[in-house]
Amino acid sequence: MTQRATTPMILALLITTLGFATMIFVQEAASPPLIYGAYYAGTLFTLYLGIRLWLPHSDVLLLPIVTLLTGLGLVMIFRLTYNIEGVENLATTQAIWILVGSGAMLFIVLFFRNYSQLFNYKYLMVIAAFGLILMTFTPLGYEVNGARLWVDLGPVNFQPSEFARIALTIFFAGYLAEKRDVMAATSRSFMGIQLPAIKYFGPVALVWAGSLGLLIFEKDLGSSLLFFAVPLLMLYVATGRTAYVILGSLLFAFGSLLTFLLFDHVQVRVEAWLDPWEEPDSTGFQILQSIFNIADGGLTGTGLGAGFSQTIPEVQTDFIFSTVASELGLVGATAVILAFLIFTYRGTKIALLAGDDASKLLAFGLTAMFAMQTLVIIGGVTKAIPLTGITLPFVSYGGSSVVGSFILTGLLLVISERSGRREAEELLPPEDRP
Amino acid sequence: MNIHLRRAFYLFAAGFVALVGMLIYWQVYARESLANNPNNGLQTRRSIEAPRGLILAGDGKTVLARSEGHKTDGGPVYERIYPQGAAFSNVIGYWSVRYGASGIEIAENSNLSGVTSDPATLDDLINQVRGGRQPGNNVELTLDPELQRIAYDELGQTVTGRGSAMAIDPKTGEILALVTSPSYDPNNLDDDFPELIQDPAAPLLDRATQSLYPPGSTFKLITSSAALKAGVRPSDKFFDPGYLDTPGYRVFNYQGKDYGELTFAEALAFSVNVIFAKIAINEVGPQLLYDTARDFGYGDPYDDFILPVTGSGLGYPPDQWVEGNTAQIAFGQDRVSSNVFEMGLVTATVANDGVMMEPRLVREVRSPDGIIIDRPAQSIRRRSLDAGTANTLNDMMQGVITTGQLTQAEVPGVEVAGKTGTAEAPPREPHSWFVSFAPADDPQIAVAVMVENGGEISAEGDAATPSIPIAQDLMEEYLKRGDR
Repeated sequence: MTQRATTPMILALLITTLGFATMIFVQEAASPPLIYGAYYAGTLFTLYLGIRLWLPHSDVLLLPIVTLLTGLGLVMIFRLTYNIEGVENLATTQAIWILVGSGAMLFIVLFFRNYSQLFNYKYLMVIAAFGLILMTFTPLGYEVNGARLWVDLGPVNFQPSEFARIALTIFFAGYLAEKRDVMAATSRSFMGIQLPAIKYFGPVALVWAGSLGLLIFEKDLGSSLLFFAVPLLMLYVATGRTAYVILGSLLFAFGSLLTFLLFDHVQVRVEAWLDPWEEPDSTGFQILQSIFNIADGGLTGTGLGAGFSQTIPEVQTDFIFSTVASELGLVGATAVILAFLIFTYRGTKIALLAGDDASKLLAFGLTAMFAMQTLVIIGGVTKAIPLTGITLPFVSYGGSSVVGSFILTGLLLVISERSGRREAEELLPPEDRP
Repeated sequence: MNIHLRRAFYLFAAGFVALVGMLIYWQVYARESLANNPNNGLQTRRSIEAPRGLILAGDGKTVLARSEGHKTDGGPVYERIYPQGAAFSNVIGYWSVRYGASGIEIAENSNLSGVTSDPATLDDLINQVRGGRQPGNNVELTLDPELQRIAYDELGQTVTGRGSAMAIDPKTGEILALVTSPSYDPNNLDDDFPELIQDPAAPLLDRATQSLYPPGSTFKLITSSAALKAGVRPSDKFFDPGYLDTPGYRVFNYQGKDYGELTFAEALAFSVNVIFAKIAINEVGPQLLYDTARDFGYGDPYDDFILPVTGSGLGYPPDQWVEGNTAQIAFGQDRVSSNVFEMGLVTATVANDGVMMEPRLVREVRSPDGIIIDRPAQSIRRRSLDAGTANTLNDMMQGVITTGQLTQAEVPGVEVAGKTGTAEAPPREPHSWFVSFAPADDPQIAVAVMVENGGEISAEGDAATPSIPIAQDLMEEYLKRGDR
C-alpha cells in the first residue's frame, strides 16, 4: 500500500491557499490571510514529510484529504470570525489546534507504531474512557447550551467524549477480535433471533450500555448516536451476524422512544425537525436559517464571504457545513462530501488490507466513527435527520474535535504502515527480508 | 470479515449519496420557494448590503438614484438616495426593504443589483468568484433632467396641481420627460408610505402611463388621419350649423359656437366637433376610425415597455357603435380613454412621417468601471400612416397654431404643430390637453401635456387652457439649446 501523495498534497494546499487569497478581497486586508495560509501550508507539509519519512509504507493519501478539509475549515472559520465586530476571532485558536493535532498525529506515528500493544490494555481503555466521560460530572465539567460536555482544565477546555470514543473503539476492536469466533457461535434463540452467549457478549453490552447511558445523561445526543452505532457496526463486521443489526435497530427504536419521552431537549429537537415552521423564531430558528442559507447557495454558491451564514447560531462548529453549502454551492458542497467519502473509502481499504482481526476491527471502527459522525451532522444541518450537536470532522471549529480527528487519522496511518511494510517485504527476495 | 467490511462501506456510501440528494433538494428544487419564504431575511439583507448601481439622467451627469453606505456592526448597509426627489419618482420608482420596489428600480433590478446579475465583464466574473460585494451596474436613462424638472414644477403650479406630461424625440423614440403630478419623495418612503396610499390625490399613481382620461379633441388627430385616408382633403368644405342630431344624441361645438362653412383644415384648427362628427359618420365610418386608432396604438397594452402602462382604448368594438357613439368618439369623448404616454406617441408618430418609434427610457447600461453592457438600439414599433398623409396632417396641425391663433404655443424662430383638447369630465371641470411638436419641418421634440380638471370655461376659448404654456416651455427649452 506504499503511497506517495505529493501531488494531491500540493493540490490540497493550493486550494486552501486560493481560499485564503480570496479572503484578502473579502476582508480587504492583505497580510493576515497570507500569514494564515503560509502557516497552514508549512504545518501540513511538514506533517506530510514526517509521515513519509517515518511511515514510508503507509496510506499517506489520507493526508491530502485531511489537509483539504482542515484547510477549508480554517478558511471558513477565518471568514466567519476574523476581524468581524462582535465576534471573537477563532481562527487563531483553530490554527493552534491544528498544530496541536499535527503534533498528536506525529506522536502516534512515532510512539504507537506497534499499536497492537494497545489491545493488551483494552480494559484500561474502558476505564480511561469512563474516566474521561465522568470528568464532566465533576466540578471541572460545565454545561454549554444545556449539554454537559465540557471539562475545564485551567488553560484548556476540552470535550472528553471526543477522546473517549477513540479509547472505546480500541477496546471493542481488541475484545471483539479475541472473542469473535465464540460470539458468532449461537447458544440459544429468542423469537427466532439467535442470541450469543451472555458470557462473551456481556462485557461488550456492559461497556456499550454504560457509555451510552452516561452520554445520554450528559445530554450529548450526537455522541450517544455514535457510541451506539459504531460498536454495533463493529459487532456486525466481527461476527458477520445480521441478527446483531436487527437487535440493535430494535434497541435503537426503543431507546429513541425512551429518550424522547424522558427528555425535553430531545422532544424539542425532534419537533424542530418535524415542523420548524411552527416556531420559526425560537426552536425552529437554527435549522431554518441553515436551510435558508444552504438554499441561498444554489448551484455554484454565493462566493466565499458573500453568504449570510453568520445568521445561523453556532455556525462555526456544528453548522459549518451550511456555510460551505451556502458559499461554495451544490458543486463545492458535493466536492466536500466526496472528500469525506474518499477518506471513508481509504479507511475501509486499510481495514481490508490489515493483517490481523484486531487491526481490521480498529481500522474499521475508526472509519465508521468518522463516517457516522459526518453523516449525522451533515444530515442534521440539511434536515435529513433530527439535529444532534456534533462537529464535522476536521472542518468544524473545536480543539477536541480537531485533535481527536488527527489522532484517528494517525492510528489509521500506523495500521496501514504495518500491512504496507509486510506487502513490501513479500516483494523482496527472501535473503533480504529482515 | 472482508465482505462485511465492504457491506458497511456501501452503507456509508449510500448515506453520502443521500446527503448529496438532500443538498440537491434544497439548493435546486426548493431554492426558489425558500428564497421567497417570509421567514427568510437573506434577500433583504443582500439588497441592503450591496451598493446598487447609479441611475443617471440623459445628460449622463445628473444622478437620479445612488446608494450610500453606512457602517454598522454587521458590515456596511446601503441606503438608496434620490437627489432629485419627487420630480422623477414616477419613473425611477423606489427601493424599499419594507414596501418592495417599483419603476426603473425594479425593472432594471438585475442590472442595478450587482449580486443577482450574471457576470457581463471579466471584472464582474473575478468579483463574483472572489465573492466581494460587487456594486451594481449604472443605468443611464433618456430623460432630459431640465425638461422633467420644468414639467414637474409647472404641472404642480396649475389650478389643480394634478396632471401629467410626456416629451419624446419623435425620430429616435427616446423619452425626454415623463412626468406626473402630484408625486412623492422616494427618500422618505418607508415613513411616508402609509399616508401616501391613503392620499386621495393618489401621488403613487403615475398619471402619465397608468391613468386613463378622455383625450378630447386631441383624438381628432386620429379622426383626421382616418378622414385623409378616406379621401377627405384639407380644402374640402363642410357646413356647421352649430349642432348635429344623431338618434338619441345631439352634438354641440365647444362653448356652443357655430362656425358656418369651413374647410376640413379650418375645422381642425377651430376644433369643430359638429364637422368631425359629420365626417366620422359620413366619410370614415366606425371600422376605419377604429382601425386607424389601433394603428396609432389604441388597444396596445405596451407590455414590452419598461414601466407598466395602462393601454388606451375606444371602449367597445366598432360593430356595436351607433351613430351617436361614432360622433362622440370622433372628438375623443364617449368611452375613449387615453393618457399622455399614448397621445405623446400619436403626436410623435405624425411628426415622424407616420412612423412610430419604439419608446425608450434606458439609453445604456454600464458597469461601474464604465464598460457598456447594454445599449438598446432604436427601432420602429409600427408604421401608423403613410408619409404623405402624415405630412398633410402635419400642415393641418401647423394651421391649428397659426389659423387658430394659439400664440401661447408659439416658439420663436420655429414652426409649431399642435392640437388642443378640452375633454369633458362631468361633474368636474374638463381636462386640459395639448399635444404638439416642433420644428414642424424637422421635428425634434413631441410633447403631450394634460392638466386634470384644468380646463377653464372662459370666453377666450381653448387658448386659455393651462397645458399649452407647459408644452411651449418644454419645446422652447429643448430647441434653444441648438444643434441636436
